[in-house]
Amino acid sequence: MQLVLSWPVRLIVVGILLFSLFVDGAGYVYRIANHYPLTGNVPGLPPNFGGWQLYIHRGLDLAGGTHIDYKLSNFPAGQSRADVQQRTINVIAKRVNALGVSEPEIRGAGNNDRITVDLAGVTADQAQKTIGAVSRLIYTKWVKDATVTGGPHPGYKPAFTGITGDDIQSATAAVDPNNVGWVVNVTFTSRGGNLFGDLTTANVAACQADANGNYCAERFLTIWLDLNQNDINSWSDPAYAAKVSQNYDTQCLATATPTTVCPKLLVDAVTQSAILGGQATISGLSFTQQSTNDLATGINSGSLPVDLQVLDVTQIGSTLGAQSVKLSLAAGLLGLSIVVIFMIIYYRIPGLLASLALLFYAGAVLAVFKVVPVTLTLAGITGFILSVGMAVDANVLIFERFKEEVRSGRTIPAAVDAAVRRAWPAIRDSNTSTFITCVILGFVGPSQVKGFAITLGIGVVASLISSIIVTHNLLAIVLTASGLRRPALLGVDRARIV
Amino acid sequence: MPESSDDSTLPVDEDDEPDEPEEVPEVPVETAKPASIDTAKQTPAEVVKALSQAVPRVRRLDVISRRNWFFLVSLVIIIPGIFFMATRGFLLGIDFAGGTEFTVTFVTNPTVQQVQAAVAAENIGGSVITTGGGGYIIRAVPLAPAKQKTVEDHLQSKLGTWVLQSVLEVGGTIAGETIEFALLAVVLAAVAILFLLAIRFRNVPGGWRAGFQFGGAALAALLHDVFLLTGIFSILGKVLNLRIGEIDSLFVTAVLTVVGFSVHDTIVVFDRIRENLRVSQRLSFEQVVNLSIMQTAARSIITSFTVVLVLAAILISGGDTLKGFALALMIGIVSGTYSSIFNAAPLLVVWRRLQPLR
Repeated sequence: MQLVLSWPVRLIVVGILLFSLFVDGAGYVYRIANHYPLTGNVPGLPPNFGGWQLYIHRGLDLAGGTHIDYKLSNFPAGQSRADVQQRTINVIAKRVNALGVSEPEIRGAGNNDRITVDLAGVTADQAQKTIGAVSRLIYTKWVKDATVTGGPHPGYKPAFTGITGDDIQSATAAVDPNNVGWVVNVTFTSRGGNLFGDLTTANVAACQADANGNYCAERFLTIWLDLNQNDINSWSDPAYAAKVSQNYDTQCLATATPTTVCPKLLVDAVTQSAILGGQATISGLSFTQQSTNDLATGINSGSLPVDLQVLDVTQIGSTLGAQSVKLSLAAGLLGLSIVVIFMIIYYRIPGLLASLALLFYAGAVLAVFKVVPVTLTLAGITGFILSVGMAVDANVLIFERFKEEVRSGRTIPAAVDAAVRRAWPAIRDSNTSTFITCVILGFVGPSQVKGFAITLGIGVVASLISSIIVTHNLLAIVLTASGLRRPALLGVDRARIV
Repeated sequence: MPESSDDSTLPVDEDDEPDEPEEVPEVPVETAKPASIDTAKQTPAEVVKALSQAVPRVRRLDVISRRNWFFLVSLVIIIPGIFFMATRGFLLGIDFAGGTEFTVTFVTNPTVQQVQAAVAAENIGGSVITTGGGGYIIRAVPLAPAKQKTVEDHLQSKLGTWVLQSVLEVGGTIAGETIEFALLAVVLAAVAILFLLAIRFRNVPGGWRAGFQFGGAALAALLHDVFLLTGIFSILGKVLNLRIGEIDSLFVTAVLTVVGFSVHDTIVVFDRIRENLRVSQRLSFEQVVNLSIMQTAARSIITSFTVVLVLAAILISGGDTLKGFALALMIGIVSGTYSSIFNAAPLLVVWRRLQPLR
């Protein structure tokens, strides 16, 4: 292994250092470039350079928020569990969006039967209400009622058709095969398909398009969330009808009391022809990829395909999170300064260089955390601090060996090379074992342990680079100055000065 | 910091002068010369002398011949630990035991008795722990969200408003799984370390069997540390009834960290044994092992000492949540250093005697 590097390679290492420093300081670059103050919240943060969000992603235990594990049960027969899980995740995501959480994390887990939700800055109560809200999807037709003056079809009020979310198997957004546009394909269950077939047949018989191509209200079929008899009874109030007929609002629905009026309309579609066979297509002139996706999710969200059972809930207050950040920062800085002081007193110049290498190390690891990005938790910070310890350990190994080599009569430059070469097997083997442990923990460990394993794993790789390449090369460069090759400065008892 | 700028005050070499002729237990005293090592020409004794000349610090240590004493020290701590683990178990934290846990700080300052009475009145199997500064941890059986809300409201109406620091609710399923996964992870990691060491050390004389001896000895040292740490925590939590002895997922992280450190220390010693076996082929295995321990002890003690300093600082000044964690790490790291010097290497010698390889 070539350990003393040529200058071009050293330049690359310096390049990595500069890049890390840029990534670490990206927030400040952004603030200065936009004339924002250097501390506190500013608009537009986090900075987003070329798709990279360059800031430390804090886990819930540091940021405060709610973590919930759900277990899925009552899977619909004949559908792949992975699909059902994904659909449930989409539904939950849709509902959570209404809370306006930044970066909600909704992940599948377990054997396709678990969903984990992480929401920053939301109380457990809010989160559970929103996610667990049972929105019922309702299909209505329109019937004549002279008292109605408002709503989408004046003179008509909605009437239940008997089709609900239970009758819909799935809804997906797709590209319209005929035109260049987007449609939503709805698949009914066999009961829903029959009902829908009868309904559309009756609708088509009701009237034909008038001269302008407009249809009578009887030809419309409308999908709502949570529409109830009370709403229909109040339809003659134009303000009420107008309010309910706005695009649905999950937040309002989730927190609704019996007296609140929430927007509930999903889509109001005209029946083009009788649809038999349980496959309907909803199309529209203004449909985009986004709006069809929203509509499909909306239809699905009215029919959560499974039952959700709460396994555990963790709510961390934001003050506790901030406290943890402070404590672990303090612990980390304290540890780092003790280590640096110790290294410099005990190993003199090599110790100083190792401390410089340690700064390189910390900067590089932080940059990796930001770029990947790694979500930092308390356990993750522990992993990071531990990896600092291991970086120091590699240096101690090299320096102890250096002293031995000097004692056994080598010249100082030769001792540096011999020390690194001979300490290498121990450093390699011990770090390999740690790295393998990290990989195992990252795959099988419970979630807290995973955060620990990821930061420790990244740290171990960086510490290898920092201790072997950076420290060693710094030593080799600095020790070309003969004035520095004095035993007292190198922390050795006696040395051959050449 | 105990270190002054003078090296000689380091704990490990209080009375050693670098140039003074030194004793190695197996070797008669000779006039010391700067070492030059030529295993072909020197007697084994001279080689040991010459090699240890390079290490003037801890060479009086003769670990191998006193190994039974060191094994005894470990057993004296581990056996009661295992006994209490088996009979009394652990004081489980919320993430392992399941249940609901409120961490709160009251704005008004109710007394502990008031809080306990109010919690008892809720009939939720609750217990109260003080954290200082008006802070309390209230534990209960798992509560449904609605029930949880009522309990919060009741308690606040009786005791005054609080600032809710955190609420944890852990169902039995998750609690069981956390333990399961953590155990599985430790077992898999241990097996991986055994095989990694066997592969890396198969080049020493004796081949694969020797490799597995190294791996096995390292594994034994690792288990020593895990059992010692968990045993002490079982005693702290269940025998002495201290909250610091509580086992939670942070404790699992501490155990894993200790495993990492212990294996590091052990590998450093073993690596030196591997090197010395190659360099000085005329020494007996015991002599090689003892020499290697002497050569690496300074490094192991320095590294652990640094870490223990940091942990001591956390233990004294850190927050409540971190204290148990810092204590666990401290015990584990001291144990890890001890076991790699005084257990792993001597164990290797014992194993070699039972199953000679060369």
